[in-house]
Amino acid sequence: MTVALVLLTLLVGAWLLAVIEAWLTTGRLRPVAPLLAGLSHLGRESILARKPDRLFFETAPVLLLVVAVLGAAVLPLAPDLVIADLATGALFLNAVLAYVLVSLIMAGWGPNGAYAMVGGWRFLGQLIAYSMLIVMPITATAMRAESLLNSAIVESQAGLWNIVYQPLGFVLFFIAAIALAFRSPFDLPTAPGELAGGVDAEYTGVRLAVLRLARLVMVITLSAATTVFFLGGWQGPLLPPWAWSLIKTLAVAVSMLLVGFYLPRIREADLLGWCWKLGIPLALLNILIVGLLILVVP
Amino acid sequence: MSATQQYLILLGLALGILGAVLSLYGLARSLGATRQEPGKDVPASAGVLSRDPVWGRYHARYYGYALLFLAFDMEMAYMYPWAVVFKEVGLVALLDMGVFLAILFLGLLYGWSQGALRRQ
Repeated sequence: MTVALVLLTLLVGAWLLAVIEAWLTTGRLRPVAPLLAGLSHLGRESILARKPDRLFFETAPVLLLVVAVLGAAVLPLAPDLVIADLATGALFLNAVLAYVLVSLIMAGWGPNGAYAMVGGWRFLGQLIAYSMLIVMPITATAMRAESLLNSAIVESQAGLWNIVYQPLGFVLFFIAAIALAFRSPFDLPTAPGELAGGVDAEYTGVRLAVLRLARLVMVITLSAATTVFFLGGWQGPLLPPWAWSLIKTLAVAVSMLLVGFYLPRIREADLLGWCWKLGIPLALLNILIVGLLILVVP
Repeated sequence: MSATQQYLILLGLALGILGAVLSLYGLARSLGATRQEPGKDVPASAGVLSRDPVWGRYHARYYGYALLFLAFDMEMAYMYPWAVVFKEVGLVALLDMGVFLAILFLGLLYGWSQGALRRQ
């Protein structure tokens, strides 16, 4: 039952996100368009590039989808609405998200195409940039909760949400989450208009449909993670817990879209530079501030 | 629910998604096969096949960062258990990790001063 509800939430979230994205870019609200596009992909040819690494080529889209769903599986949407509230939930989320890199390198390597290859290796550079900014803010939330249980992290924010308690961590995590989901302005591995689609370039038909679905689900998963770690999860007045989770998750997802909508794509070298020269010192400062706050304010 | 059960559920979920995707592939295949036509399977590269295999052509110019990343990633392995017991242990924990992070941060600054933090 829980599994069905979470999967349904992910699918509906992905659909809403696709609708809103199309609305932003075309100015027209067409709720059925993403469904039709998905269906039409089923009827299209799914071409296999010449001399591919077949195993990698086939694994990449499936792996990305599995990763996105497994990430969502450890995030509580309500006190009892979580597929598996692992004792090491926060760590598990990190471990799972590392496989986004594996999937994209596979997608880049698989088709034996130059653009895809560049896109895949670029994402490795991107991971080196954003990765610390994902884990360090999560650690700071775990410090406050004294636990890696995601539900405990939500409960620790009962009095004061982490976005107020550690705003620095929230900002860093939010930016890093966009980079992890490789959405604009950090869409270096796909880079439409520059890399001819990058890792997406050789995927057609049903494989492309799975890849796109996985990307949308990934955004929802990361928005849900932002909600759980920084926005107090299911907590809120009046409405039932699951409604608060949904509202916050969607709000974060849409704000991610909006950020990407108004910013130009960043260069890989600049991304690495900003993350390591500014981001990581700030993330360490965030841990220090949170540590002092925990010790001084009981 | 025990930890084993939880991991079994996650494994089942992963296998379930795999099954769902495979059945989607099967559905797509039943709707029509890909027609083999010359030139269709050329990877996106302005319509001509690359002379050489493209594998192994990319220069990873971020290797300076990558080496530092290794050090920081190892450090994160210590941070998780530390974060859980932080409140309990108190000031000692802050000082312990503070010294450790300070050394690591000095390493970052040293790397920066030696030009590791730039596109090589």
